[in-house]
Amino acid sequence: MQIHITSASDLPIYRQIMRQIVDAVAGDRLRPGDKLTSQRELAEQLVVSPLTVKKAYDELEREGLIQTQRGRGTFVAARATAVDPAAQRQRLREMVRRLLSRAHLGGLDFTSVLALAHEVHAELEAERAAEGGSDNDESGSTPRESESES
Amino acid sequence: MSVVDFHRIHHAYERGNQVLRDVSFTVERRQVLGLLGKNGAGKTTLLRLAMGLLKAQEGEVRLLGLDPRERPLEVKLRVGYVSEDQILPPALRVRQVLDFHRGVFPTWDEEVARRLGERFEIPSEAKIKTLSRGQVRQVALLCAIAHRPELLILDEPAGGLDPAARREFLETSIQLLNEAGSTILFSSHYMSDVERLADRIVMLHDGGVLVDSELDELRESYSLAMVPAGPETSPERLRALAGCTSVRRRGDSLHLVFELEPQAAESLLERELGIANSRCSALALEEMFIELVGGQAPESS
Repeated sequence: MQIHITSASDLPIYRQIMRQIVDAVAGDRLRPGDKLTSQRELAEQLVVSPLTVKKAYDELEREGLIQTQRGRGTFVAARATAVDPAAQRQRLREMVRRLLSRAHLGGLDFTSVLALAHEVHAELEAERAAEGGSDNDESGSTPRESESES
Repeated sequence: MSVVDFHRIHHAYERGNQVLRDVSFTVERRQVLGLLGKNGAGKTTLLRLAMGLLKAQEGEVRLLGLDPRERPLEVKLRVGYVSEDQILPPALRVRQVLDFHRGVFPTWDEEVARRLGERFEIPSEAKIKTLSRGQVRQVALLCAIAHRPELLILDEPAGGLDPAARREFLETSIQLLNEAGSTILFSSHYMSDVERLADRIVMLHDGGVLVDSELDELRESYSLAMVPAGPETSPERLRALAGCTSVRRRGDSLHLVFELEPQAAESLLERELGIANSRCSALALEEMFIELVGGQAPESS
């Protein structure tokens, strides 16, 4: 499990740990059933307070992403679903905001950005198909245009 | 019972120079409390009061339930303390200093001492006077930690250490927390160390406790807003806003710290002052420190 934390971030350390575990699960680097580094070990590896690691694990457990089995350790939950949709949405919103500012500076209008998104989406689909995985497709939701900001 | 209990402490070194004014807080078992404040804010005074090296003019201090002035020996045996300007006998060799501590503390753990000694690469035959400031500090830390104290009180433990030695000290502290579940009260100017080690923060300012909060809560419940300076944004008016804890002028803008989440601060500014495009953000600890207790830029800049 590769986790990197920085103390100059505007995110508290336990949030950084949570986010990176969530990302690892979302990116398939951690799969259901995988064992996580123990809290003690992670605290020593990252050089952060054991209570901070405990807090991150407790939160993830509350959200159902990981499960602790007494005496055995902590594992990625069997059905690790996307964590807290509201938080996820807020994160994506920030990313979209940065993306649109960049696009604006680069002289791309909103339609071009959408076209670009479609293009990348098609690429990802093609890659997924090439990997042979008939994974479930969770891209059902379509972006709403009303959310655009300058 | 709290491990440390400061109750309504007042202290002045000389008349009119009040260092601590009605300071109260406690440190609970297994907590790691980072004591912050500018130079001269009273951090060292408070820690010296805790160790019974000074007597509070008013108020009470209890360590592990004991009065450090009445039961100094018991307190010293159960507490590890490293002062800001550790004085070890210059003529002694490192080995002799360790022998002395081993003899004094019944709880001395030779394994911890050996491991730390190797980690810090301290030459055991060297005389204290030949060591660098950082090395002396490491010897002092080793002595404070190796008797496995129930409470560690560290005054600027990283002062004078290079980044690698600082990180080693942090690693040692975290191992200690993992293994012994100690309670730590430490002061520091290194905000990155504080973020890694502390669960809770007490910030001293103007003699009193300005902030007493869980670190994560502090990080998530405060935000910084920047608004342009103008007739409708006078510092007085901004300071009167609910949740506004500080206003600083920087160039042609004003920095406001709110005890609110960023989005709540943005909507407050829009509602109260009609500022629609303010950008509020979370703050790293270092920025927060500077915004809360940093000096004011001259008004006429």
